[in-house]
Amino acid sequence: MAISADVRHLFLGSAGIALITLPLWRWPSFSNSTTVALGYLIVVLLVAATSRLWVAVTTSIAAMLAFNFFFLPPVGAFVIADPHNWIALFAFLVVSLVASNLSAVARDRTRVAETRRDELARLLDLSRDVLLITDSDEAHARLAGFIARRFDLEYAAICMPQESEWAVFRAGPRELTLDPRDLSSAFASAEADHRFTPEGVSLIPLRLGTKPIGVVAAAGRPLEPGTFEAVAGIAAIALERAQFLDERKSAELARQSEELKSALLASLGHDLRTPLTAIRVAASNLQASWPSELERREQSDLILAEVDQLTRLFQNILEMARIDAGAVTEDMRWVAASEIVDAARSRVEHTLRGRNLRIAVESDRLARLDPRLTTAALSQLLENAAQYSAADLPIEVAATIDGSGLTLAVRDHGPGIPPADLPHVFERFYRGANAKRRRSGTGMGLAIARGILAVERGTISAENCADGGARFTMVVPAEVK
Amino acid sequence: MTRTMRILLVDDDVSIQRAVAPLLRSRGYEVDVVGTGAEATNAVSDKAPDLVVLDLGLPDLEGVEVCRRIRKQSKMPIVVLSARAGEAEKVAALDIGADDYVTKPFSAEELLARIRVALRRVSEAEAPEVERVEVGDLTIDYSRHRVVRGDDEIRLTPKEFELLALLARNADRVLTHRAILKAIWGPNAVDQPEHLWVLVAQLRKKIEPDPGNPRYLLSEPWVGYRLASSPLAP
Repeated sequence: MAISADVRHLFLGSAGIALITLPLWRWPSFSNSTTVALGYLIVVLLVAATSRLWVAVTTSIAAMLAFNFFFLPPVGAFVIADPHNWIALFAFLVVSLVASNLSAVARDRTRVAETRRDELARLLDLSRDVLLITDSDEAHARLAGFIARRFDLEYAAICMPQESEWAVFRAGPRELTLDPRDLSSAFASAEADHRFTPEGVSLIPLRLGTKPIGVVAAAGRPLEPGTFEAVAGIAAIALERAQFLDERKSAELARQSEELKSALLASLGHDLRTPLTAIRVAASNLQASWPSELERREQSDLILAEVDQLTRLFQNILEMARIDAGAVTEDMRWVAASEIVDAARSRVEHTLRGRNLRIAVESDRLARLDPRLTTAALSQLLENAAQYSAADLPIEVAATIDGSGLTLAVRDHGPGIPPADLPHVFERFYRGANAKRRRSGTGMGLAIARGILAVERGTISAENCADGGARFTMVVPAEVK
Repeated sequence: MTRTMRILLVDDDVSIQRAVAPLLRSRGYEVDVVGTGAEATNAVSDKAPDLVVLDLGLPDLEGVEVCRRIRKQSKMPIVVLSARAGEAEKVAALDIGADDYVTKPFSAEELLARIRVALRRVSEAEAPEVERVEVGDLTIDYSRHRVVRGDDEIRLTPKEFELLALLARNADRVLTHRAILKAIWGPNAVDQPEHLWVLVAQLRKKIEPDPGNPRYLLSEPWVGYRLASSPLAP
C-alpha cells in the first residue's frame, strides 16, 4: 500500500513538473527563469509535504533536470554553465528535504497519537472488563482472555508462581510453552520494564506496589512498552480486587453464620424457656391441693400442649440439622397426590384439629418421588397456614400431577404476608410482624420446607392472593405415569 | 395483709397466663391478665393493681419501655419475667425502676417469693422508719451505725456499713450494680464497678461465716446483689 502510494505521488509530481514545463517552454515569452523555478518549487513542496523523503528528493531532481534541460542556457542539454543554476538546484534539494522531513515528523506524530489513542481505548476497555471479574477462582483465566481479546493478541497469559512451578492461565489462539526460567527471571527482575523470550514473547512482572506477584506474557502483536506496563498494572489491580472481593465474601459468610447462630440461640432461648416455664408452673399447680378437678384438667392439658410444642420444636431442630448436614437422601416411589396430602394431614393432625380443610386433588396420575420428604414439606406448609390464620377460616390444599411433576398449593384466608416480610419468609428463624404475637411457630417450618424441596430439586414460593390470604406453592419435579 | 392484693399479669404467652394466673389466684391474689404493653399501661391506670408481673418479650413494645411507662404513672412494684439469657435487658428494666426479676423457666415458688418481697417493700415503706433490723443472726442498728452478731459487734468501715444498710433496707430484693454504685459513691461512679467488688469482698469477710460461700450477701451474676433476710442454710 505504502509503495503504491509513493509511486502515485511520484507520478503526480512528474505530471506537475511536466505541467509547469510544457507551457512555459512552448511560450518562452511568458517566462523567465524565476517564474519557472518558483513553479517547480511549488510542485516539489506539495510532493514533499504529502509523501516520503525519497519521493520528494526524486521529484526535486526531476525538477532540477527539467529546469536545466529546458530553461537554462544552453537549452536542450544537461549542462550547467552558469554557477547560479547550481544554487537553484541546491535550493530545490533543500526545500524538498526540509518539507518532507517536516511532513514525515508530523505524520509520525499523528501515527503515534493514533496508536496511543487506540491502545488507550483498549486499556480503557480492559479496565472495564476486569470489573466483571468477581470470582477469584477464575480471575486469572478470565483476565488473560480479556487481555488477548482487547489487544488482538495471539497469545496472552497470566503466570502465577506456585511452590515449585508456574501456573499459566493462557488465552488466545496460539499454543505456546513458556520456559519457566524466562518467567522466573522476569519475575525476579528489579525493573518493571518488559523483556522478550527467544520465541518473541513479551514478559512483564505483575506487581502489587513493589511486590511481584506474577508475570504477564503476550505475543502476536507488538505492544508499546508503556501500554504493556499499563496492562500489567491493570491486571495486578484486577487480581487484588478479586482477592479482596473473595475475602469480603467469606467475611460476609462468616458474619451470616454468626448471625444464624445467635438467631438460633435467641430463638431457642425463647422457644424453650417459655414452654418449660409453663410446664414447671402447671406441674407444681397439679401437685398443690388447691386446684379443682376442672382446674387440674386445664393444667394437665396445658402441660400436654406445651410438651407437644417442645416435641415439634425438637423435631424441627433435628430436621434442620439433617438438612444442613446433607443427611437427607431421597427414597423414590410411585405415589398418588392424594397419598401425599393424606399423609401430611395426619402428620399435623394436632395442629389442624377443628380446622376446615378443603382438599382438591385434580389428577389420578402417579409421580415418582420421595413421599416422605414431600409429605414433610407439605405438612410444614399446612402447619404454617394453620398458625397464621384464625381457627374458623378454611385452609385450601390443591394438588396436581402434570407432565413435569407434582404441584402442591396451600392457601389460607388469614391476613396474608406483609410485603416487607415476603422476601424473607423462607429464611430460618425469620418470623414476620404477625408471628411475634404467636409463639406456636418455631421460625423454622418454611426454611425446612425449602430445604427439603432443595433436596428434591423442587421449588417453593409464597404469594399473597388478590382476595386475601397467603398461598404457598411447592413444585416437585418428577417422572409421571 | 387486710385487703386482697391485686396483681396485673402481663404476658403475651397464653400458656404462661393459663399456668400462672390460677397459681396467683390460689394464693389469694386478685389477678388481671393482659397480653400487650399497650393494654398493660391502660390496665395500670384502670385497675390500679398493687403489683405488676411483666414479661419483657411483648409483641408490641420493648419490655423496658413498658416498664418506663408504668413507672411514669405509679410507684407500684414491678416484677419482671425474662426469657432472655442476656442480662442487659433485665438490668435496664431494674435500673428504670423494676423491683425484681425472675428468669424463665422459673418455678412457682420463685415467682411467689419475689412477689411477696416486692409487696412487703410497699407495706414497709408505709410503716414508720425502723431503727434496727435483724437479718439472720445479724442485727443492724441504723441510728448507731452498728452491726452485732450475738453479743459481738462487727466493726465496719462507713462505706461497708452504708452498703450493708442499703441492702438490708431492700432485703431480699436485687439491687443492680449501677444502683448500688450510685447510692454509695454517687452518680459519677456508676461505671467503676471495681469499687463495689472490693467493698463486697471486704464486707463478706466480716459478716459471712464462710466468705467463699456467702449466705447473706448473694451475687446475682451480671445483674447485682441481694441480701437474703433468711439466710440460706450453710
